[in-house]
Amino acid sequence: MSATSPYATGTPRRRARRAVALGPGLAVLCAVLVLVAFLSVTMGSRSLGLWDVLRALGSLDDDGSITSTVTLEMRVPRTLLGILAGAALGVAGAVLQGVTRNPLADAGIMGINSGAAAFVVFAITVLGVRGAGVYVWFAFAGAAVALVLVYAIASMGREGATPVKLALAGVAVTAGLASVTSGIVMTNVDALNELRFWQVGSLAGRYTPILTGVAPFILVGLAVSMFFGRPLNGLALGEDAARGLGQHVPRTRAAAFAVVAVLAGAATAACGPIVFVGLVVPHVARFVCGPDYRWILPYSMLLAPIVLLLADVLGRVAVAPDELQVGVVLGVLGAPAFVAVVRYARLSEV
Amino acid sequence: MRAWRPILALAALSALLAGCGDDPSTGDAAAAAPAGPWQFTDGSGQVVKADKTPTRIIAHAGEAAALMSFGIKPVGVYADEAVKTDPNLKSLDLTGIEILGEEWGKIDVEKAAALRPDLIVGDWWPAEKAHSGMEEGVDEKSKKLAELAPVVGVSQGKSIVALAEGYEDLAASLGADVDKPEVAANKKRFEQAVATFKEAVAAKPGLTVAAMSPSDEKVYVANPPYAPELLDLQSWGLKVIDPASPDPSFPYWENLSWENADKYQPDLILWDGRSFTATANAEWGKKQPTWFKIKAAKAGAAVSWPAFWLHTYGDFATELDKLTAAVKAADPNVGD
Repeated sequence: MSATSPYATGTPRRRARRAVALGPGLAVLCAVLVLVAFLSVTMGSRSLGLWDVLRALGSLDDDGSITSTVTLEMRVPRTLLGILAGAALGVAGAVLQGVTRNPLADAGIMGINSGAAAFVVFAITVLGVRGAGVYVWFAFAGAAVALVLVYAIASMGREGATPVKLALAGVAVTAGLASVTSGIVMTNVDALNELRFWQVGSLAGRYTPILTGVAPFILVGLAVSMFFGRPLNGLALGEDAARGLGQHVPRTRAAAFAVVAVLAGAATAACGPIVFVGLVVPHVARFVCGPDYRWILPYSMLLAPIVLLLADVLGRVAVAPDELQVGVVLGVLGAPAFVAVVRYARLSEV
Repeated sequence: MRAWRPILALAALSALLAGCGDDPSTGDAAAAAPAGPWQFTDGSGQVVKADKTPTRIIAHAGEAAALMSFGIKPVGVYADEAVKTDPNLKSLDLTGIEILGEEWGKIDVEKAAALRPDLIVGDWWPAEKAHSGMEEGVDEKSKKLAELAPVVGVSQGKSIVALAEGYEDLAASLGADVDKPEVAANKKRFEQAVATFKEAVAAKPGLTVAAMSPSDEKVYVANPPYAPELLDLQSWGLKVIDPASPDPSFPYWENLSWENADKYQPDLILWDGRSFTATANAEWGKKQPTWFKIKAAKAGAAVSWPAFWLHTYGDFATELDKLTAAVKAADPNVGD
């Protein structure tokens, strides 16, 4: 992990040109996201006439027809959830990679997925609850607890939560929670079967209640995260340099972790652990934008939902009238994508 | 959730076994003297032999119920749920029988070994190529049950009637008197139930039904060729919808995304009995926007389907009477 200075990568003229190109780039991504969202509403495992879908969208009122119900009650919330969850995972991944200066950091490595899974299993076995609507809150709580735990463990000792200690604590907490989870599901086949569905990561079967449940968290998290560009740039220089720039490093780290907990926690709670988006998208953003987090963050926020929605649309049309979970599609497409990123982008320069 | 056990247990082995679902003939009891030597043709087609007729039998829930209906009492049983709620066992007297498992996929093999069994009885599942309790997805430890004694079972093939007959043959080979009056009475009750069912079905020629199982992610529509009781119902005239494209790697069901929940419009829903409750239909209608797009669901036309558990003439007769009542009450034009 070399701490390359974001300000040392080019002459002032080059930086200026880059900013000129990156601004409109964001507008282009916005347009692409709108287009992908349109695809996500008009395409799916059920083939509906384009005009019927548009008419349903136009009236915004469920007239009881199947087109109207599928469009307004299923595809629109699904698409909105995909956009929010994608943006949350992308930004959470970018912030985590920045704050831990670890190119492999994502929600999974920081204990978020395993914490959420452990709490879902707890809900199933001890409390006996069932259903995606209930798992949301347990998963959210589990993600937050795991992240707090990781941060607390890493903070022990004089030098505080350094990147290396964060990574080690993340791995340790993940391993610990995962072994608790598998310990329980080994002795409880029911829990295993329930968890198997949750653990794939999917946008299916999640409608307006779940969307409205997690949307406030994600929206606030996204808004706050956009102020982290400058602090993350500072941290990228190394802790001493960041301190020299007047940053309160532990406070920055703690705040960044809180934002990640809210974003990744809410997304994981709503959709289950979705892999690769949080890991790969920030690298793609970094490849496009260079090392400046003031650009990486908004680019991640727009790129990630584009990737997530495209994968979801693919999973829906590929095996109609059945559907593939988006987690499966991303798993299959994500691995080669990550190899490509490793090959072409200089991964180590976080 | 019990509803997904067959789905999940098999999802795990998926494509590996796809395409090799040939259906071995149901077991034929070989005529053998109770003292032995003994032999029985297993559902897998293998002939299992022993020098002496087995007497210490461990059996899976429904298989135990079938043997007990002929007077063969096993020394141990393993069930997929608490024996108090298991549809096969809940009304039976199990005193003196060791309970070796009350959860799918979990068998206490150590306890089983202490019983010194000389025969294990579990259905043969042709699609999974395994006996009940030793399928893919169960605890690895449970599979060791097969090391204690030979395993035999009748194939979960094309008919519950054939399954019941298979266990009658097995019981006979084990020395049971299958001509006892109780046995004859159950058979008679079953024959009457079939006759009234056929009558009710014939009175409603336009009635179609679909066997379904809704879940959070998808709606599953049962594929009759892999559900013997549905094949029986079809053979008695009931129009059970054959789904057009069952999952190739898991042919028990066709998987429909919730967007496609209304692909089939039956007049009556046979609801997977493992998840059916009196309020289930209303709950799913509230939870999933498209469930009530199935007109039968909207009309509340749903009845519990005894999915994958029937083994005896007596149980089938009881369940058949309930289905007959539902058929009589059904409106054959709901789904049109």
